[in-house]
Amino acid sequence: MADTAPLARRRPRRRARRVVALLYIAPAALVYVAFAIWPAIHTVYLSFLDWDGILPATSAGFSNYTDVFTDPTLGPALWHAIVLIVFFAVIPCALGLLMTALLQGNVRGMTAFRVIFFLPQVLPLVAVGITWRWLYNDDGLVNQGLRWIGLGGVTRAWLGDYNLALVALGLIGTWAMSGLCMVLFLAGAQKIDVALYEAVALDGGGPVRRFFAVTLPALRGEITIASVITTIAALASFDLVFVTTNGGPVDRTTVPGLLVYRLAFNESDIGRASALAVVLTLIVIVFVTAIRTLTREKA
Amino acid sequence: MRTRSLAAVAAAMVVALSACAESGGTEPAKPSDVSKDLTTENITLTLAYTDDPPTQALIDAFHALHPNITIKGQQTPFSDYVKSIKLSMAADTPPDIAEYNPGAMRSLVPAGLIYDLTPYEKLYGWGEAFPASSLEVLRSNQAAKEYGTGGLYAVPGALSVLGVYYNKSMVTAAGIADTPSTLADFEQDVAAVKKGGKAPLSLGGLQVGGFQLWNAFTNALGDESQYRNWVYGKPGSTIQTDAAKQAAQKVIDWVNAGYIPASANATADSDAQANFTNGKSAYLVTGNWAASAIEKAMGDNVGFFLLPQATAGDSVVASGASVAYSISSKTKHPNEAAAFLDFMRDAKAATVQFDTGFMPVNNETAVQATGVRADIAADFKKVVADNGIVPFPDFASPNMIDRLTSGVQGLLSKKTTPDAFLTSLQESWTEYHG
Repeated sequence: MADTAPLARRRPRRRARRVVALLYIAPAALVYVAFAIWPAIHTVYLSFLDWDGILPATSAGFSNYTDVFTDPTLGPALWHAIVLIVFFAVIPCALGLLMTALLQGNVRGMTAFRVIFFLPQVLPLVAVGITWRWLYNDDGLVNQGLRWIGLGGVTRAWLGDYNLALVALGLIGTWAMSGLCMVLFLAGAQKIDVALYEAVALDGGGPVRRFFAVTLPALRGEITIASVITTIAALASFDLVFVTTNGGPVDRTTVPGLLVYRLAFNESDIGRASALAVVLTLIVIVFVTAIRTLTREKA
Repeated sequence: MRTRSLAAVAAAMVVALSACAESGGTEPAKPSDVSKDLTTENITLTLAYTDDPPTQALIDAFHALHPNITIKGQQTPFSDYVKSIKLSMAADTPPDIAEYNPGAMRSLVPAGLIYDLTPYEKLYGWGEAFPASSLEVLRSNQAAKEYGTGGLYAVPGALSVLGVYYNKSMVTAAGIADTPSTLADFEQDVAAVKKGGKAPLSLGGLQVGGFQLWNAFTNALGDESQYRNWVYGKPGSTIQTDAAKQAAQKVIDWVNAGYIPASANATADSDAQANFTNGKSAYLVTGNWAASAIEKAMGDNVGFFLLPQATAGDSVVASGASVAYSISSKTKHPNEAAAFLDFMRDAKAATVQFDTGFMPVNNETAVQATGVRADIAADFKKVVADNGIVPFPDFASPNMIDRLTSGVQGLLSKKTTPDAFLTSLQESWTEYHG
């Protein structure tokens, strides 16, 4: 406080304005602190406790963290989440860019396309998961389709397959996330100056050149946002996994979020669950920072 | 400046948080002033539960006998119930009675939040009135680490048992005349169905159906007291037994023989049940809790038997559980709550329990039944008389259900050996029971 005092004395009016401004911010800030900041800090606090949710908690020091890092189930779960990034983030962004390149300009039925591709985004992931569980079923739509095109030999209960369950799960994410990426990119592409495309055309550049020279660089911001959102969705995935495979078969589709849930609700180990949640948050921050650094514009 | 004040806020929060250290005693609670005399005033009790049937019907039947005691039921779907019941029982105004779930409510025992009902057990003579195995599973020591011994923390309101449903016309078409009397007989029957080109078994490997099959095999092959001690957490127990290993190997053998569908690992329990009722398989291993739904779908075309033992003539062993009720140690009306628990052995309650698809707690009561429920009632009587009801294996430790589910998925996909499966179960057991 000491360093602001002389400043305030010199400009009392400014200070009053500041108080008013703070009052405006206060309601939103209070809600944010109560429902986002406070629980986050509370989680960190809980991660240093040994607590089953009922009996008095005792201090656990760093033991929850050492448990988390020595738990043999964490490694595979983390690896699965990283594989999911390919399906939740990389493929959807690539598809989104492709669709943007194809749909750019005045294509007929553009709005219809956009609505159709964005539709998965407005459905709750739990409903998406249950629907896909049926589609992937032994005699679900996916296998019916495969039989119809003569691929009856490869049909199987996809989500129960030891080697392919994770891929099958990932493709649900691809289906759900691609629309989001496409809508973001299409919106971004609309603000590109048409003169730039004309310039490329004058230089004799075709559609491919136009895409790489103009569209792609102009969408840098949108690509960053899309990859951050989808990467977080992959690393922190829980609901989709919970309703489709619940980590199975044989823990081949476990993700860190599912392990947090099991620790907290099945095993009543709130401390370890919190420690794992904190670690997961740090991992998400590392990935997001990496993406932002990679896509940052050169100064 | 900004960072400094943020740090101050954070520090203040942590201090505030550590001040709100969680409350709760560490002594088991026992009711005092136990009496059979009930109030004549109008009172209202609340009862939190998840299983309906039979709960609401039992509440109504009790209210008919005691019009001045109103019980207000609060139903929660199962997956939400196991998550929330512990917290609502720890609240300042918990429900007076709560349906007992060992996994979710175990920690309420050492915290003294549910009553040790031993005084009422003596007062009402419950030890005589209820099947011994149905009370045994609800007993726990003070630390809630060993079960089947110690205080009584709940009373059963309806009983269930794991067995085999069969599609009568499919079985007859395969040339099978009788229900099997040994495990080998049953395997022959299954082989006959397979030979006839039909699917023998529906199995929900995605959820609990998978490990229930292994569980049924284990009960058929091995020593029940060894298994029971293990589930109860008796020091020195192990699941790495010959029977459990043979049972796991049998699951693999059945996959190899094509008795178990390749899609089992992606099949939920409800889907497996639907496959069976739609005539896509001849057999389904599940409990009598599904009886009313299966009977509704299949009518007279369905029968039930308990998985037979390896040797003919051995007394039958089957996993079973109960819908049971506990009393909050914070209730203002413990005697009236206990009267509701005592009502569970009443003949009127028995009718409700049986009509809603469960087995009556008081198996002395004569119940009129036809069809599949007559099969269940007859077999259940036998297994209770032999004291052959054993607890389900997921009861053994908090994360056992995850180990069981993924372990049997490994057997079903032939990626896990029986030894590795049992080692993983034992590891979870040792972690909890030490």
